[in-house]
Amino acid sequence: MTELFNRFLNRKDSSKDDAKARLKVLLIHDQVDLTPAQLDAMQEEITAVIQKYVEIDRENSVVRLERGDDRIALISSVPVRRVIERGLPA
Amino acid sequence: MSECIVVTSGKGGVGKTTCSANLGVSLALQGATVAVVDADIGLRNLDVILGLENRIVYDLVHVIEGECRLKQALIRDKRAEGLYLLPAAQTRDKNSVTPQQMRELINELKEEFDYVLVDCPAGIEQGFKNAVAGADRAIIVTTPEVSAIRDADRIIGMVEAAELPEPHLVINRYRSKMVRRGDMMNKEDILEILAIPLLGIVPDHEDIIISSNRGIPVVFDETSVVGEAFRRIGRRLHGEPNVPELDFSEGNGIWGTMKRWMGLAQGVA
Ligand SMILES: Nc1ncnc2c1ncn2[C@@H]1O[C@H](COP(=O)(O)OP(=O)(O)OP(=O)(O)O)[C@@H](O)[C@H]1O
Ligand SMILES: [Mg+2]
Repeated sequence: MTELFNRFLNRKDSSKDDAKARLKVLLIHDQVDLTPAQLDAMQEEITAVIQKYVEIDRENSVVRLERGDDRIALISSVPVRRVIERGLPA
Repeated sequence: MSECIVVTSGKGGVGKTTCSANLGVSLALQGATVAVVDADIGLRNLDVILGLENRIVYDLVHVIEGECRLKQALIRDKRAEGLYLLPAAQTRDKNSVTPQQMRELINELKEEFDYVLVDCPAGIEQGFKNAVAGADRAIIVTTPEVSAIRDADRIIGMVEAAELPEPHLVINRYRSKMVRRGDMMNKEDILEILAIPLLGIVPDHEDIIISSNRGIPVVFDETSVVGEAFRRIGRRLHGEPNVPELDFSEGNGIWGTMKRWMGLAQGVA
């Protein structure tokens, strides 16, 4: 309905949401001084470590930085398929 | 109790000088004594915005180098009792002054004035360091754009690092029509990202250009919405923190103008 209404008014998606989303990412990178490429590399390494212990759903894994009130947090959500049954990893 | 407030932004051209001039006038019109200091050495502008450029004899660097006394360099604004400008040097660069010298200068001004407003240059280098050196607190000016807000965030961090209290935000060049159609970040969006208290919003308006053409800050214009926005910010600075935000969402048509006039006449809007 809103969709239709917007189309009637010839509206595109509002650009301010893009602005806000881009800003949030920018500010985090400014603050921690990591490039998006470094962040990707970090995510790779972290998942690699996790995979030594459990089998995970890589497709749906995220590791990202988020700005809280006065600190930056590393948020990760890694769905676990099953625990690998063995002792300590090599 | 006298106070030095630095008006800063990080990004250039977002309205620091416009804000410094108008807030200086607004504070003076409320009866305070005010010195506005142009700390943008080498690129002075505050004199022009205030329309005082023809009266400059000495400048800030002359004072610091002892070539004249502070009183000789201060230019009195005859239109607003209690308002004085200390102009920047135009032919020198930012390194001709040190933070320590600025601090001493500001302290001397604070003995004479209720408010010392410092118009900070763009950037985060020496000019910024000089401008914040003597300040008790900071006003951050931004526009509702990604690059300006990003730089504002950076400057907020630097203000903290300089051990000043939490700064206040002025959002300049706000376009309510664009906000309404979702093409400009609104007040809440910006405050969510920068997370500092809001001092006020200034609409984007042609009156600013007209007033800078004439050298008469817009805050003198009783009928201007932008003037009213600055008057309200000035009042919030000067002991009335709860002055309500101006509703400039009416647009610019004849009806909007009428509504504005009626609102202003009632002093509410
Ligand atoms: N609210 C506004 N509406 C319309 N134009 C504006 C507004 N505020 C500022 N401007 C215009 O934007 C330009 C830059 O303003 P100003 O010189 O105050 O910015 P600044 O931050 O001091 O710049 P700099 O970083 O170069 O010192 C000027 O031409 C001014 O007229
Ligand atoms: Mg300026």
